[in-house]
Amino acid sequence: MSLSDNEFIFTLSILLLLAGAIAAIVFSRKHKAANIISNCFCIGASALGAVSVIRHLLDGGGIKQVFTFTSNIPLIEISLRYDNLSSYFLLILFVLTFAVSIYSIGYISHYYGKRAVGVFNFLYCSFILSMMMVMLAGNLITFFIAWELMSVTSYFLVVFEHEKSENVKAGTVYIIMTHLGAAFIMAALMIMYALTGESMIIGSNGLFADIPEAFKNLCFIFFILGFGTKAGIIPFHIWLPKAHPAASSNISALMSGFMIKTAIYGILRFTLGCFGVSEVWWGTTILVLGIIAAVLGVAYALMEHNIKRLLAYHSIENIGIIFIGLGIGFLALSKGNSFVAGIAIAAALFHTMNHALFKGGLFLGAGSIQYSTNTKDIEQLGGLIKKMPLTAIFMLCFSLAISAIVPFNGFVSEWLTYQSIFAFLSEGSLGMDLIIILSAAALAFAGALAAVCFVKLFGISFLGLPRSESAKAAKEVPVTMLSGMGILAALCLAFGLFPRLVLKVIAAVTSEIAGLSLLENISNSTIPICSGISIGNNRMSMAALLVVIVVLVVAAIIGVRLTGGKGRSRGFGTWDCGFVEINERMQYTATGFSKPIRIVFRLLYRPYRKLTVKGEIPEYFPDKMEYKVGTVSIFEKYIYDVIIRWLQRFSRRVKYTVQTGSIHMYLSYILVTVIALMLYGRLF
Amino acid sequence: MGYIIIQLVLMVGLAPLINGIIKKVKAFSQKRKGAPILQMYYDIGKLLKKEMVVSETSSWIYKAAPYVVFGSTAAAALLVPAVTNAGGLNAAFSGGDVLVLLYTLALGRFFLMLAGLDTGSTFGGMGSSREGMISSLMEPSILIGLFTLGLASGSLSIKMIMSESLSKVCPIADPVYIIIFFVLVIVLLAETCRIPVDDPATHLELTMVHEAMILEYSGRQLALMELAAAVKQLILMTLIVNIFFPITAVLPAGVPGVAIMIILYIVRIVLLAVVIGVVEVCIVKLRFFSIPNLAALSFILAIIGFVNYFVIGR
Repeated sequence: MSLSDNEFIFTLSILLLLAGAIAAIVFSRKHKAANIISNCFCIGASALGAVSVIRHLLDGGGIKQVFTFTSNIPLIEISLRYDNLSSYFLLILFVLTFAVSIYSIGYISHYYGKRAVGVFNFLYCSFILSMMMVMLAGNLITFFIAWELMSVTSYFLVVFEHEKSENVKAGTVYIIMTHLGAAFIMAALMIMYALTGESMIIGSNGLFADIPEAFKNLCFIFFILGFGTKAGIIPFHIWLPKAHPAASSNISALMSGFMIKTAIYGILRFTLGCFGVSEVWWGTTILVLGIIAAVLGVAYALMEHNIKRLLAYHSIENIGIIFIGLGIGFLALSKGNSFVAGIAIAAALFHTMNHALFKGGLFLGAGSIQYSTNTKDIEQLGGLIKKMPLTAIFMLCFSLAISAIVPFNGFVSEWLTYQSIFAFLSEGSLGMDLIIILSAAALAFAGALAAVCFVKLFGISFLGLPRSESAKAAKEVPVTMLSGMGILAALCLAFGLFPRLVLKVIAAVTSEIAGLSLLENISNSTIPICSGISIGNNRMSMAALLVVIVVLVVAAIIGVRLTGGKGRSRGFGTWDCGFVEINERMQYTATGFSKPIRIVFRLLYRPYRKLTVKGEIPEYFPDKMEYKVGTVSIFEKYIYDVIIRWLQRFSRRVKYTVQTGSIHMYLSYILVTVIALMLYGRLF
Repeated sequence: MGYIIIQLVLMVGLAPLINGIIKKVKAFSQKRKGAPILQMYYDIGKLLKKEMVVSETSSWIYKAAPYVVFGSTAAAALLVPAVTNAGGLNAAFSGGDVLVLLYTLALGRFFLMLAGLDTGSTFGGMGSSREGMISSLMEPSILIGLFTLGLASGSLSIKMIMSESLSKVCPIADPVYIIIFFVLVIVLLAETCRIPVDDPATHLELTMVHEAMILEYSGRQLALMELAAAVKQLILMTLIVNIFFPITAVLPAGVPGVAIMIILYIVRIVLLAVVIGVVEVCIVKLRFFSIPNLAALSFILAIIGFVNYFVIGR
């Protein structure tokens, strides 16, 4: 038991998180103390945890036991352990929690005196703990308990600002969707246990691989439905754009940055880890779902002007990108090509990490904007770059990273995904060519649209003139919030420039879950310090490219200076065509900015305009006019609304025929049930 | 290192000439004398010396954008070897493959679009919004086109794609290559804001895309922006001439060979510029919302090219 002992540090980090949760309750009367103390515990816990899992992964990994509890109730056994796959996801969680907890110290200060900060921090710590438990769950029952704990704590955090009715509604949609998903997961877990009697999922005896093919397929469908709901795969995505704006921003950062990734973990753990991929259609299904999510996610994001809802749709897009990587990997595995599978799954894992970093950062940035302007609507913002210069720089970094623009980390993982697609195609004999190339096209299209969307987000909210009084009065956020974002931005750049730092860790994971060797294939580049990746002849080095760009920029500055002398410049108003001076109402709006795309893809968006005129005789004497433009979500209109209507009709019928409220009826139901059960016990 | 400097000087130095040639061809077709072929050099020289008027609304993004756009475009220019024969390919800069090229250009475009929004002018926003639509519609086809060429040469590296072309007798006669050629020509016209997508000669708010984004710029910032746009055009043209019309003759390595190759490169680029000029003269500008049709055409062509590769190309 010393600090050099990995498991000890890890246990310490769990205990610190528990201490944080308890401290939040103990100090709940003093808001400031509760917030600072419990967040400090979280920071310490995540730092320790990160150190321990990094060490674990670099030492070669393996399975480590954290905690076991065997109860007298049959089947109930809590087992917490971790292997390389869980360690990698835990690493993502710890890095994100570290930054988000630093941020929260400042961010939660706007709750002081208004809300129960102690309760919030208690929920915050328990949410992190429950996500940790999902990663640590060593057997089926622990996994399900942790999964439900995660859903419930996050539900309470979503509805924390419960006085707004839309938040409660968002929470309801969220809890219903997440439980529908959990039902499928539970069914699959029960099938797995029933057929094998095996319950360990980390370090199992490999009995799951012997499940008959038909049941494996059934489980796979259930897992895709269950985990897909958590991940926000279209068409199960409807809770995501509702829940994220309702939750406070640090929670959104955790939910989008990590909670939806637990689904990726689940798919990897159960299908790849427990079953092993044998069917071709598994990969195809994941790939097609990924393509749909990537393109539609970003397409819907473009139409949103609520920052957090926009970011939520981008989470769907990025889950789609991760799914594309997974799909390619699964396809390659089912065809027995471990070279391609290694790159593809590494790409998916890398993108999981990257998305946690930049999307976490973007949600923190959205929180900062909300903190200082009190609005989430980008149409109300503008000119923030002058009021919040550091937030602006960080947001620019995150925007570039999520748009997969060089030299940030988002590009590296998309590059790897492209490489896996290319390697898959150039193997030639693997088939499925058309769908694979469409996934490359989808990636390119999604990347380009994401860039447009983030030009919109950054350009409309940070540049130009402020569009409202609150935007004019904006101030830079406290230093803790800035440092939280700064850490994530620095990591985005660092992982872009030195991707092999992460790939070294990922290599331990891919070799464990599918026996894929990665580092040999992503061979040593001639360029030093872990910066370059080369797969075959395809090479990439962001560090070298950045050096070249910087040198060229400096050369341009010097060249311009030499030929043109010292520049003279003069400030003047923006050109106003010689009419009145330009004001903030004349600027391009976010709606206007995305209009060309709305028109081009009107089949998808179903845009509508509504003009309502009020007045005594509205045609001639209008008092008030209201003009509204919007888009219709085809999934809600044609799938969910139909199901809900059908359900309502069904329950109305049940109410009048079965649930009549008469005691005699209920007693007879009980009698019939008991007899039926007795017969069942007798006959079978 | 020598090659890299030659490459940079060639790409940046030659770029403004192309615009001069295209303008001359158009003037010729209209029975005008037109501006001198070197007009853009004079313009840039003059702009570099002139005073800048900077919008008071703008922020550091506006001031940094010309340098970022120029720096990233010039870096992208390094990735596309101009001198392919006579040992030029081996010596060229190898910082990345086709994807790095596309996303380096995207860095420039990102800042260009932000600069359009930074001044708070409606024109800038309009230009950025249109550029966003056009570029995202074109992205899938350029990617599939280059992927198909990559498959044909076994690697996504631009050098390998070009050396595969060198090893063919007449690449443009290949059924895969000829279709991708048309894809890249459409992409060239769209990405460099030429007719039928945008008219570089007008400053009419109904049509302009690139000009609208840089409307507020003046002086040396404008010079850099214009130069970067010209370099981007030359990058795409270089891709086209070196992949589809390579000089396959064996040339001696060393200074004479390289000199011959540079001259041949310039000749091919000038010819392509004349062709672009003729194309611009012969077709009309499309209505803005007809551009998706053009994008769809290039996407379908790219898919056909890809299928071609799997059916007959291999």
